Amino acid sequence: MTPQSWRRMRQAVQILAVLLFTYLLLGTRQGLPTFLPHDLFFRVDPLAGAAAMLAGRRWIPALALGLATIALAVVAGRAWCGWLCPLGAVLDWTRPRKPAAQDDPRGNWRTAKHALLLVILWAALLGNLTLLILDPLTILFRTMTASVLPAVNALLTAAESALYAIGPLQRPLEWADRILRGVGLVGGEPAFQQGIVLALLFGAIVALNAVRPRFWCRYLCPLGALLGLVSKVAFLRHRVDADACIACGKCARACPTGTIDPARGYAADPAECTLCLDCAAVCPTNAVGFRGHLAPAAWREYDPSRRQALLALGAAVAGVGLLRAAPAARRESPWLIRPPGARENGLLDKCIRCGECMKVCPTSGLQPSLFAAGLEGLWTPVLVPRLGYCDYSCHSCGQACPTGAIPPLALDDKRRAVLGVAYIDENRCIPWADGVDCIVCEEMCPVPEKAIQLDVQTVTRPDGTVAEVRRPRVIRERCIGCGICEYKCPLNGEAAIRVHAP
Amino acid sequence: MNEIDRREFLRRMMILGFSASAAATLLARCGAAQSPTAAPTAAPTAAPTAPPPAAGPAPATPATAQPPTPAPSAGDAYLAVARGESPAALVQTAIRAIGGMERFVKPGADVLIKPNICVAYHGPEYAATTNPEVVGALVALCLGAGARRVRVMDNPFGGTPEAAYARSGIADAVKAAGGQMEVMSEMKYATVPIPQGKDLKQIRIYRDALDADVFINVPIAKDHGLARLTLGMKNLLGVIWDRPAMHRNMGQRIAELTSLVRPTLTVVDAVRILVANGPTGGNLADVKQTNTVIASADIVAADAWATSLFGLKPADVSYIPAAAKMGLGTMDLAGVRVEEISV
Repeated sequence: MTPQSWRRMRQAVQILAVLLFTYLLLGTRQGLPTFLPHDLFFRVDPLAGAAAMLAGRRWIPALALGLATIALAVVAGRAWCGWLCPLGAVLDWTRPRKPAAQDDPRGNWRTAKHALLLVILWAALLGNLTLLILDPLTILFRTMTASVLPAVNALLTAAESALYAIGPLQRPLEWADRILRGVGLVGGEPAFQQGIVLALLFGAIVALNAVRPRFWCRYLCPLGALLGLVSKVAFLRHRVDADACIACGKCARACPTGTIDPARGYAADPAECTLCLDCAAVCPTNAVGFRGHLAPAAWREYDPSRRQALLALGAAVAGVGLLRAAPAARRESPWLIRPPGARENGLLDKCIRCGECMKVCPTSGLQPSLFAAGLEGLWTPVLVPRLGYCDYSCHSCGQACPTGAIPPLALDDKRRAVLGVAYIDENRCIPWADGVDCIVCEEMCPVPEKAIQLDVQTVTRPDGTVAEVRRPRVIRERCIGCGICEYKCPLNGEAAIRVHAP
Repeated sequence: MNEIDRREFLRRMMILGFSASAAATLLARCGAAQSPTAAPTAAPTAAPTAPPPAAGPAPATPATAQPPTPAPSAGDAYLAVARGESPAALVQTAIRAIGGMERFVKPGADVLIKPNICVAYHGPEYAATTNPEVVGALVALCLGAGARRVRVMDNPFGGTPEAAYARSGIADAVKAAGGQMEVMSEMKYATVPIPQGKDLKQIRIYRDALDADVFINVPIAKDHGLARLTLGMKNLLGVIWDRPAMHRNMGQRIAELTSLVRPTLTVVDAVRILVANGPTGGNLADVKQTNTVIASADIVAADAWATSLFGLKPADVSYIPAAAKMGLGTMDLAGVRVEEISV
């Protein structure tokens, strides 16, 4: 095969990887089986796997597939980044065709990703997983779940509703709606806090492509750094045939990670090379090849040093210390309502911040936390009942969680898992404050013996009239904190019944 | 060269997109004006034919609006109550007694069946959702009468429609009988005025509930904290968008909703009834096996009769007297022909 056809094959594999990612993303829905594990991309993510196992001090069998990715790196270096990583593919597709000038292939900024990797691993050893929010797969999955798909859903729904008013379009729209609903692009009205923030962050990562091609991959990606370090011993490596090379410099300009160094005979660092084959495809003399090597590649200026490792340890210790000293660690927020079973399970040192639970939650009640869990728990799942309740017929989050941070409870056990307790604000509750019947909360309460009871009381209304009214009262021992009462409370703004953390 | 082409392409796409959406909006405006659901502009301020309150028994045939249901022929019962073991047989018997499905479903008719599938929590033995055999039997009867298609739907308040359809057993029963389940899509809701509405002037409602040739309402009789019972009229809350808003002045508002929807036929499933902790249920101790199906073209009469299963009077369930007062049907069952049949 010519280098050009190899490159075409790489591009085809990238497309397939993104399609697979999309299929699994859309398939991460309540009760929907996929032909591969829906969390496959997290299972093969060695960074998330290593960090979760370090922090949780346990072997997580589901994440053992990360070893396959490590093995791939031992054979073919950062081929993951060039061929399989869906974020890498997106960045490839969005990088400018005429890139900005290449920076120095020995540039020290490349070390930023190593610093990030080391801090993540040290912090994991100290039981903290906060920085896994910067794992490329969690970034992509979270952004898709909390920003892109809800926006697509809202736009499609609006378009459907607008077009449905046109008579002849109704039949085709019904068909389209059934298909879109079937693939999960319409229906369920997903809405996430910080969706816009996450979209902007993602946009920034894409926009940095304009500064340097694959800016994220060369300077920042901690997973790329991990695979790069393994790639120092990679078997398959870029090699330039010095006899054939005419030093035209085309490969150095074409390299998306800018690792081809004209000053070193157009050699590439296997820790930076993604085996994309762009260099081989542009080489006019076929001087670029990929051959087997056994000796480890040279340590470069930007590769981690002992000093950097110690600095990273210091940063991790300081960071974890500061997080533990934060008020959120002293007194928990009353709104820190975790998914079923997760609180008892100690979610923080198990959750890899992937967002699978939020994607699978049929009410989108599970939201990426901003303040409730403190900075340490940024973008971990919290139930925000006013946005979505915990569905009494659903236990999907525990099934979807790749690390067991949310335990895979059987439906009957999940129905008894207490997430919080509902309290009525008697100053605002319609029957309490206005002396008028309402009872939506009682009606909605899903437990077999309702946790909300109605007491018939004779009351004097604010206008002085006397009336009989049914006032709701929460029986705490029965309440599981699912939050459907808070979600459905007909008051505007804040509900008059709110679930507090237990 | 390439760059400019792409830019040009995008520019043209944008112009096309804008003009298409502008055209669509324009068309939508026109479409809305002609749409059958978008109600007459003549303001119904004259409060048409509100019958005098408490003026003796209400007329057997409701006087207001135009009941979409053909009048019963001489031999037919006004309301039928069937009792027995087999839910399907109860449905068949009750429908036959009030004139057979052919009275309601003409060949080629587009039929919409609205059971109560309020939550995805429990199977039918918990009596929170309509009996699947009852729904399946109705689908079969409609198809037997020559219906073009029979769609079954509800909008659950707890859990997704797909999960609720499956858990209730209704999805399987409907499929087996040849009908189709429809998930109620947001695009199909429209805000329409309620001509007889006093408290509710307009409502956002599923268009098909108004547009279908035949609308069959199949509630399950259940306990309810505010309404006391959820029966046929309360079941209509499943076709509107904003349910919580109905909880103020509930009796009147449900009656006004009923005045808009006017089901062709109401079949109350009382094979099992839920006597406490409704409408969601979950406790078999709250379920009572009553092996009864009630059918009538008069939703008020059907609801009125169903109250007796709970030892209540029609007047105890606020929306029944409110609807009778609006002339939507009769709650005085002494004045109509009720046929009770054991199967």
